[in-house]
Amino acid sequence: MYFVSAPLFRPLAFAIPRSPRRPARMTPAAATSERDEQARVHAALLRAMTSGDKSALGRLYDLLAKPLYSLAYRVLHDHPEAQDVVHEVFLQMRDKAGLYETNRGTVFSWAATLTRNRAIDRVRMRKRRAEIIAESAPEIREETPAATGADTLAWQEKSGAVRAALTQLAPDQQAAIELAFFGGLTQQEIAARLNAPLGTVKARIRRGLLKLRETLPAQP
Amino acid sequence: MITERQEEQAALHALGLLEGAERSAFEHELAGDAELRALVASLGETSAALALTAPQIVPPAALKDRLLAAAPPRAAAALVEFPLARYAPWAVAACATFAALWFGFQTFRLRAENQSIRTERDLAEIAYKMTQGQLKERSLLTENMINRLGNQLKRQEDLSRMKVTALASLLGNSKEAQAIAVWDPDLQSGLLTVDKLPALADNQDYQLWVVDPAYQNPVNGGVFKVGADGHTALVFKTDQPIGKIAAFAVSLEKKGGVPKAEGPLVLLGK
Repeated sequence: MYFVSAPLFRPLAFAIPRSPRRPARMTPAAATSERDEQARVHAALLRAMTSGDKSALGRLYDLLAKPLYSLAYRVLHDHPEAQDVVHEVFLQMRDKAGLYETNRGTVFSWAATLTRNRAIDRVRMRKRRAEIIAESAPEIREETPAATGADTLAWQEKSGAVRAALTQLAPDQQAAIELAFFGGLTQQEIAARLNAPLGTVKARIRRGLLKLRETLPAQP
Repeated sequence: MITERQEEQAALHALGLLEGAERSAFEHELAGDAELRALVASLGETSAALALTAPQIVPPAALKDRLLAAAPPRAAAALVEFPLARYAPWAVAACATFAALWFGFQTFRLRAENQSIRTERDLAEIAYKMTQGQLKERSLLTENMINRLGNQLKRQEDLSRMKVTALASLLGNSKEAQAIAVWDPDLQSGLLTVDKLPALADNQDYQLWVVDPAYQNPVNGGVFKVGADGHTALVFKTDQPIGKIAAFAVSLEKKGGVPKAEGPLVLLGK
């Protein structure tokens, strides 16, 4: 028997500012302003890439590589493969930068979607889905975030806010969403994994994602 | 208004859980619903934010070097430094080529049109000549017809105008003698044909007389003789102008004739 709920809550511990090294929280207004500014910087770097700015790719990498790499590793549990995914995603962003439209979402959202899709594709291609699933959800190893010059307070604030919002979901909603997002399972596989009817799983995902959207601070 | 079903589909779509026909159907529905698109975009952002819940790991430094090495600068900057002077001759040449092609095409088109017009003109000319020939032919036919009709009318008029009289014999020894006198009042001349009249002695002549009521005595029409067969044809004119003919008469006179009839009448016709 496989239990999902308890291990899934482990990443949410990041939301709790217990470490003295963690920066002090900003006010909500300041955090929103910082996120907006961050989104504008990302979009500007993307535009700079289309006009041939040689340094734009490196600067965008500095800002996004860490969360994207973390996401890729979270799905793949394999450092070389996570590196390959991040490498491919940045090249794809450079090649498709001209097609990006700000009204379709933030650059981070686009990059995260590309990373997740590529990582899940790799998981499926390796044909070790069952093995990866068994490792992914329950066995998340908590790693201490390494502060770098590229880390910003806004990233940390947002990361903490998302974790905090996730903890407010019902455990079954949280489990379904995490299995879908990080595990790359199909609806039926999630239902089988959670031993719940398919309709129930769909409803949990709908309610969970909508609540998460309401709980999270305004999206940039 | 977004339904619960649409919310569910949007949430599944944001997490990449829609597949195959279900995904196609939803994306088709999405294309025509701006409100639904906004919901999907919003849930997509929420879904992407889940990436931040992953334990944060710093990627190895070599990854950035590898990325920058694999991503050489793109050629976009070259577009800024467009060497106008370098490409100007090519642009001029291209324009000239285009112009030459255009003029060539126009020339070819106009020639074709000109040829077509010439052909039409030739055909029209041929048609005109044919029509002209037909008209001429018809005109000739009409003219001939008019001439023929005119001649017929003239003959009929001539015949109606002419005085034709048959003369009968008044002699006991020449009962079979016959004569016909034809007189044209316009020309004031006539023709007398005689058959089976007895031949005369050398000192005698037959003399023709034209009886006109306007004159007291018959007018002399001339003398004549007949051959052994009793036949002769005499074109005659009178000594005086004739207005209306009452009768023709032939008398037997002395040779050379007389101014006033003296001998016996041989033929008479009214």
